[in-house]
Amino acid sequence: MNCSHINFRMNRRDFFGRFGLGLGGAALGSLAALDGRAASPGPFSGILPAGHLPAKAKRVIYLFMSGGPSQLETFDHKPELVRRTGEDLPASVRMGQRLTGMSAQQANLPMAGSIFGFQRHGRSGAWISDLLPWTAKVADDLCIVRSLHTEAINHDPAITFFQTGSQIAGRPSFGSWLSYGLGSSNQNLPAFVVLISKDRIDQPLYSRLWGNGFLPSQHQGVLFRSGKDPVLYLQNPAGIDGASRRRMLDRMAELEHQQYRDLGDPEINARVAQYEMAYRMQTSVPDVMNLSGEPESVFELYGPEARNPGTFAANCLLARRLAERDVRFIQLYHPGWDQHGGLPGGIRRQCGDVDRASYALITDLKQRGLLDETLVIWGGEFGRTNYSQGKLTKTDYGRDHHPRCFSIWMAGGGIRGGTTYGATDDFGYNIVENPVHVHDLQATAMHLLGIQHDRLTFRFQGRDYRLTDIHGNVVKDILA
Amino acid sequence: MPTTSSSRRWILASLLALFVRPLGAAGVDFAREIQPLLSENCYQCHGPGETSRKGGLRLDTREGAHGRGKSGKAAVVPGKADESEVLRRITSTDPDEVMPPPETHRKLSPEQVRLLRRWISEGGQWGQHWSFVAPKLPEVPKVRGLRGGNPIDAFVAARLAENRRKPSPQTEPGRLLRRVTLDLTGLPPTPAEIAAFESDPSDESYRRTVERLLTSPRYGERMATEWLDLSRFADTHGFQADRYRAVWPWRDWVIGAYNRHLPFDQFVLWQLAGDLLPDATQEQRLATTFNRLHLQNEEGGIVEEEYRVAYNVDRVNTFGTAFLGLTFECSRCHDHKYDPISQREFYQLFSFFQNIDESGQSVYFGDIMPVPTLLLSTAEQEAKLTALKSDIAAKEAAVREVAAAARPAFTAWLATNGPAEPSPLPVAAYSFDTMVSNLFPNSRGGAGARPFEGPQTVDGRLGKAVALSGENGIGFPGAGHFTRADPFSLALWIQPAMHVPRQTVIHHSHAWMDAGSRGYEILLEDGHVAVGLHHMWPGNALKVRTRRQAPTNAWSHVAFSYDGSSRASGLKVYLDGRQAEVEVVRDNLWKDITYGQPDLTLGQRMRDFGFKGGRADEVQVYDRAITALDAARLASVPPPEGEEAAFEHFLQTAHVPYREAADALHKARREQNSLVTSIPDIMVMQEMERPKPAHVLKRGAYDAPGEEVGMETPAALGRLPAEAPRNRLGLARWLLDPANPLFARVTVNRLWQQFFGRGIVETSDNFGLQGAAPTHPELLDWLAVTFTRGDTALGIRPWNVQDLQRLIVTSATYRQSSRVTQKLHDWDPDNRWLARGPARRLTAEMLRDQALFTSGLLVEKIGGPSVKPYQPEGLWEMAMGGARYEVGKGDDLHRRSLYTFWKRTVPPPSMMALDAADRSYCVVRRQSTSTPLQALALLNDTQVVESARHVAGRILREGGATPAARSAFAFRLVTGRRPSREEAGIVQRLLEEQEAVFRKEPDSAERLLKVGETPVPGEHPPDQLAAATVLAKALLNHDESVMRR
Repeated sequence: MNCSHINFRMNRRDFFGRFGLGLGGAALGSLAALDGRAASPGPFSGILPAGHLPAKAKRVIYLFMSGGPSQLETFDHKPELVRRTGEDLPASVRMGQRLTGMSAQQANLPMAGSIFGFQRHGRSGAWISDLLPWTAKVADDLCIVRSLHTEAINHDPAITFFQTGSQIAGRPSFGSWLSYGLGSSNQNLPAFVVLISKDRIDQPLYSRLWGNGFLPSQHQGVLFRSGKDPVLYLQNPAGIDGASRRRMLDRMAELEHQQYRDLGDPEINARVAQYEMAYRMQTSVPDVMNLSGEPESVFELYGPEARNPGTFAANCLLARRLAERDVRFIQLYHPGWDQHGGLPGGIRRQCGDVDRASYALITDLKQRGLLDETLVIWGGEFGRTNYSQGKLTKTDYGRDHHPRCFSIWMAGGGIRGGTTYGATDDFGYNIVENPVHVHDLQATAMHLLGIQHDRLTFRFQGRDYRLTDIHGNVVKDILA
Repeated sequence: MPTTSSSRRWILASLLALFVRPLGAAGVDFAREIQPLLSENCYQCHGPGETSRKGGLRLDTREGAHGRGKSGKAAVVPGKADESEVLRRITSTDPDEVMPPPETHRKLSPEQVRLLRRWISEGGQWGQHWSFVAPKLPEVPKVRGLRGGNPIDAFVAARLAENRRKPSPQTEPGRLLRRVTLDLTGLPPTPAEIAAFESDPSDESYRRTVERLLTSPRYGERMATEWLDLSRFADTHGFQADRYRAVWPWRDWVIGAYNRHLPFDQFVLWQLAGDLLPDATQEQRLATTFNRLHLQNEEGGIVEEEYRVAYNVDRVNTFGTAFLGLTFECSRCHDHKYDPISQREFYQLFSFFQNIDESGQSVYFGDIMPVPTLLLSTAEQEAKLTALKSDIAAKEAAVREVAAAARPAFTAWLATNGPAEPSPLPVAAYSFDTMVSNLFPNSRGGAGARPFEGPQTVDGRLGKAVALSGENGIGFPGAGHFTRADPFSLALWIQPAMHVPRQTVIHHSHAWMDAGSRGYEILLEDGHVAVGLHHMWPGNALKVRTRRQAPTNAWSHVAFSYDGSSRASGLKVYLDGRQAEVEVVRDNLWKDITYGQPDLTLGQRMRDFGFKGGRADEVQVYDRAITALDAARLASVPPPEGEEAAFEHFLQTAHVPYREAADALHKARREQNSLVTSIPDIMVMQEMERPKPAHVLKRGAYDAPGEEVGMETPAALGRLPAEAPRNRLGLARWLLDPANPLFARVTVNRLWQQFFGRGIVETSDNFGLQGAAPTHPELLDWLAVTFTRGDTALGIRPWNVQDLQRLIVTSATYRQSSRVTQKLHDWDPDNRWLARGPARRLTAEMLRDQALFTSGLLVEKIGGPSVKPYQPEGLWEMAMGGARYEVGKGDDLHRRSLYTFWKRTVPPPSMMALDAADRSYCVVRRQSTSTPLQALALLNDTQVVESARHVAGRILREGGATPAARSAFAFRLVTGRRPSREEAGIVQRLLEEQEAVFRKEPDSAERLLKVGETPVPGEHPPDQLAAATVLAKALLNHDESVMRR
């Protein structure tokens, strides 16, 4: 008997117990029915049991910096731009590219170099801003891509584009595609988990970003929130404890078994299995969210903020715990990067939020031997302009959205660490070397997971859809 | 053996291959067997798409397949398989030769190759894709032993007989009643209704029941729920801050239309083109809101045209999916790869839908309805508005009469040198000559003008002037707050530095696009002076533009004078003291121009182009319409010649009877303005007089217009008749023409899906070449033709949805038992062939409504603004815009689910877990899945727990005194049937176990009984009530409740 779809092993005893001796045979029959002809696919299997290619990475941790961090204050060092601070952006650089309506009407476009310094770090000598001293310590694990570009110029379509490969709302998200393709290797947790930093909202994050689109609903991302009800409706209502719930579920299963005997519909058994999975999640989710068992050394690594639930640091630690439990796609969002004005203050705060925790996550995964099989991605939905939006002063300026070039980094999971890939011009406005499109990034990540991005498709309204639409090239140069 | 879904699909495909070939048929059927195969494997490169076509070969037409391609060889040589290039290439082992190419990851199976070979050998018969040929009424098959006269059963039984299968017997009366009641009203039957039907389950009794359900007000709510998915209905705009839109009046119209059985052709015609009907009623225009329900973007700084195009694309896609079952979306960027719809034809359809005066940016500042809109006046308000309209007309006439009678007084006034008398002074005036405490004084005594970001003072036209940078400006607090009913004027000297497409000189508003430009403004557009008064640009606005330009680097005096009429004719622009000739850009202002009291501002506006390099002097604000004499005097030029200007000046400034008449008119206009502005409006379609030019957009990009196109329908579906109007009304009539091959089929297929869970064409959203073939093509066509033409013998009226539904639910096919044997399930796991009755999980809405209904909590009230029932805390707060989800109170917690507030970026989570459709785009087919998150929602959601408590109250009140009686009652109450002996034992044990738990832990009982807002009526022992609550919850999660069998 094969239980590849639904694992009853952990409570088989309950299962048989609840039907009593006289019904044991029938129970077996219904289990067999589950395997052979379940009407809806189980929650754990993907459609590509083996993948298309040998996988380098088993899972993804995506640290999404929502709002669009400035590349010029983080990873794209532009001394010439600093020298030209205050000069108007030359038309020869802008080349008539569109601006957002936020700065298109601006009377002047004064160029603004970073007021923060840059140093070279690690054996690779990667340029990293002084705002990111912790990240700089793992420079040799990172592949910094300075030549990412996207098609959207406003937040909503741009984030949607990164998460679903399309600017149009309603397509399946990256994590849903992976869940659909590869399934889950954990029987008690969803394959696709979403964590959002608290208290940093400037641009909205909404459920369609982790939605399943037209893929079956079981592939939707599940938001884990800090607080008493980490997954929606996870907690029993007040007054119902686990034992009482268990007893009720046992009686419910008996009733369903009667129903199955009468009607013969295997869907009945599939639903019983979902109730069991739900019951297991009621234990497994609080268990993974509970950081109290983590040793002191871990908090020393991640920093004191890791003790404060809902912070980026706490979420990074949670991401590691989810990775240990083989969750396939762990999506973190850290909002707050939309610095149209007051950029120096804002980005200092943001870098302070994420710097140490990002370093800690890489280091922690490495120490546990998980980095090699976990692809970590850090970055936002677009970059920011090299000219100031609003008034430029010696200590203050803002930057508008800039889709034409921006920086992200990747680490682990088959990525060649210690590399910097792609380059922009001296003004930090256009890409001059090795452009990487959003679809290329998605194709590359899928490649590392053993998926040929153009072969993981789903037929919807007569067309075979995929994450990378009809585009995407694997960036071979950054593979280990 | 592990069964993967792909292997399951393979098995299914082989089974299907057996079925689709009618037994005994000789030849290969091109449309059913060959074309789908070609479409799937070849059309990507050799289909209708011209730009993507490879080797000059197309296999979607006979000419293409039989002709010679670039290679000089014919792909298909009829009768000669071995000479046909297509077979040679498909079977080639050379990777450079083989088709489809290896990189497509496609390959034909040996079975498919054999089929192709046979087809060519049989002569390579060609045919059109089935759904592009208009349906003809097929003959109802004669099936031996079939009872009853329902043609549906004959078609289904004929198909079953081909496979030597028989239909199932009728299901138990209780289950049948539950099935039909849920399907037609979305709610379950009451135990009394079930008991009554069980005691008389005759055909006659069933027919009466169906009539009762079809005329129940719940019927409209149930039908509307489906229509809301299709029309992507939501209570918010869907982008970024995701603001509220009050479109519920349209939803209520849909419910009402179903409840009074509006014929479906009218139902669709009104929604597509109600505004274009002669003497369109308010209701017919309201119906067109359908076309405006797409997402709308309010994010600051978007490109307006990009989103205007996106909205219109969505209208076309919705039209395609909902009414034609085709995927037009593909042809936005290129010719469709599979279906005969070119990119050009896409934009021809596009041009039907774009002719409304709308903006691609909706308003960031406040929940303001995008234009154009329809006023949602009540009959009483309408009467009041009509009365005000004639009152205003009478007062306008009175003003004219006073003027006509004023000639003698005018002559006397001239004689006393009246024109030399000083005019009434402005209400605010700023010369910029001095600064006091960093403010420019207002010589009329009000607050001084406040410069920001420091405009320099320079030598001006008179004394000092201000020099502006485009970023800086001057605010005039307290000045210039006017309504559209007030006469007012603005005057100033300007010196532009350049002529550019747009500069904001002075305005009274919050922002440009982000605020719909609401307010008034003086702009320079390439030097032409443009004056606007806007409620919301462009659909509710007034704007004129001078033909003459104001020169650069020289002073010009600019003034406008507005008479409070809301008409372009009442807005005069003076350039250098002379009335300027203007072109009227918009003349459609009918709601007020202000909200809040922004400062009148010179030189700059949020996210607008400022008055870069410009200078300004002597800003004056008048609370009256200044005259030509005033304007001349302000510009220091001689007064215009002739007496007329003087006469006007006399009337406006010196003639008391005229002033009195004008004041009375002003008062009436103010009254009308405040009434009309207070009445809500709703976005609708309102055709512009001149259609907007439409172009093919290259790659679908808004900024890459190509060839210009006109309004036309796709050739493959039949062209618009020459005499038909080139507008949405013409399009709608084309759609409803019985010659249209798709509309009726798509509609009846969706109706079928509503009762059987899957359509006769499973892909109810795609009838194109890549869609599924119909399982019962003759039945589909019979239903389609009968729907459009009616059938007197069967009592079916044309376009009557209810008549068709009556036919479906009274069919034996629908009434079959859904019980399934292993053998039957193996043969047809998805019940395509209908050898058993349809079993389906209830929808998200039905599950919640059922719990409310059974508990007695349901508040049945039709319509009104959407409500906010229980939802876990903190979800909206993650989104933007500071919105908080304020859980409703009282009735709002217990309304039917179609009234639940739908915020697009944060939809109701329990409904999303239960496969509710994404309301971002048109959805005609929901998923039905089974997930652990559903189990959690159905067990732990406050809404369910509260309902269970109230069901528990009923159990204790009505269910007898013993656990045995109570649990049996509960089972019957919730599931609609009596428990078997085994089931009775299990539910009784459940109840007793839980009673034991709560007896031991009275605290737990108390806590459980506090979940949700409403207490259970009556006095009950807490342990018993809590235990019964758990029982009720278990039963609400029981298969019999969650499914409709």
